[in-house]
Amino acid sequence: MHPIMTDSHATHRSSTPRRLRLGVLAATAALAAGCASVPNPSPNDPWERYNRSMFAFNEAVDDAFLSPVAHAYQALTPQPVQTCIGNIFSNLGDAWSGLNSFLQARGHDFFNTLGRVLFNSTMGLGGCIDVASMNGSRKIHNDFGITLGVWGLKPGPYVVLPFVGSSSVRDGSATLGTLAAGVSPVTPVFQIDNVPLRNSIAGLYVVSTRAQLFDADKLVDQIALDRYSFIRDAYIQRRNAQVQSRLSSDGALPDYSDDDLPDYPDDDLPDYSDDQDVPAK
Amino acid sequence: MIQRFISLLSIQNLARLAGAGLLGLSMAGAPALAQGNVDANAAPNDFVMAVGNNALDAIKQNAGAQRGDLAQINQIVNQFVLPYVNLEKTTRLAAGRYWRQATPEQKKALIEAFKGTLVRTYSGAFTKVDQRSTLTAQPFRGDPNAEDVVVRSLVSQSNGPTVGIDYRLEKTPQGWKIYDLNVEGIWLIQNYRNQFAQQITQNGIDGLIAALNRQAS
Repeated sequence: MHPIMTDSHATHRSSTPRRLRLGVLAATAALAAGCASVPNPSPNDPWERYNRSMFAFNEAVDDAFLSPVAHAYQALTPQPVQTCIGNIFSNLGDAWSGLNSFLQARGHDFFNTLGRVLFNSTMGLGGCIDVASMNGSRKIHNDFGITLGVWGLKPGPYVVLPFVGSSSVRDGSATLGTLAAGVSPVTPVFQIDNVPLRNSIAGLYVVSTRAQLFDADKLVDQIALDRYSFIRDAYIQRRNAQVQSRLSSDGALPDYSDDDLPDYPDDDLPDYSDDQDVPAK
Repeated sequence: MIQRFISLLSIQNLARLAGAGLLGLSMAGAPALAQGNVDANAAPNDFVMAVGNNALDAIKQNAGAQRGDLAQINQIVNQFVLPYVNLEKTTRLAAGRYWRQATPEQKKALIEAFKGTLVRTYSGAFTKVDQRSTLTAQPFRGDPNAEDVVVRSLVSQSNGPTVGIDYRLEKTPQGWKIYDLNVEGIWLIQNYRNQFAQQITQNGIDGLIAALNRQAS
């Protein structure tokens, strides 16, 4: 009943012709949707059945359309140009990160990021060259989902959004909400009146970002037993860490307890402190 | 079109995990060629920095490993990484409560198989190292006398963003041993727990070992 898509994914991805692969994925998605239970339910992922179907759909869309275009972009564009384009979009993203640092009352991050944007926009020729990073200023990623987390909102269940990919109820609402409200990292692009130009820039953004992910994608294929679980767990861990780092590391009294260490609970043997030997059964 | 934007935004997090994160894994290991000595009983930060910097130098000097030559990488990992890593503990914690169901042979095979996964992870990381890659420690937070500590560091690359890497180590009679690794907020063991459990409940421990080994081919 549940040969869920653990193996089918990894193997079909690389070898099968694209159209066939699309079919296989659609079939797997249907299978997952029709399956009554998931083999290893995770408390953070109550909607796993739906999520797996959507994940398969996203992968199919990516394989069929986005990846080929991004591959072509990578092949046709000289590396310095790719870097420049990536940096310009990254600089736009920094402006958004800075605003969120402000909303989180993290003045230090806010001014650092503001400095990055100003420096890169001027000395870095509109963001083309990341001179701020070259001078030792670390990029501080931030977004409205993290801001909501800092304000005390729990992430809620993990959810895979169509086309969007990994998210949670909180983060997904934050992304869609800010986009709908017209304040988001991509808003400047939508302000452009010339429609073909606007769409070209939007498309370039998508393609450029996708092209930067090929290495990561390949790695996940090589080391994940199950792409879905691997990506889900990484997403949940990372988002959680992003919020926690903002809650505990600032202020006069940093928390020195190991609250940011993962807990490895065990039903029968909750304490791992005695790690030399585990009682044999 | 709108949706695709966001999709990429969220995938970007993953990119950082993998693309750059690999570097961290490579830093975790590969110590001591003929360079600085690693004192496994030194302060945690000093121990990790010695291991990491030696590793970095070793990778910089090995063009084969940087190209992704698995034999070379295997050799570096075996010779310079594993002495400072408690792979048995890493595997055991990843397997969680299922570990006790495994026979001694299965345990051995599982550790070996998981090592293969980690070596493949390194192979991606090594390609990101260049002559300007550097490793810096962040101030140690916590009790240096504790048996189980976390060392935080930053890896800077000329061709990508700076990445935060944390190491979790424990004190053993032989000195410090690294057993878990955090790349930009993602702990290695934590990220394999669900996948291990999933494989074991479906196909048993032998199934998990087979699945790990299958990736190698």
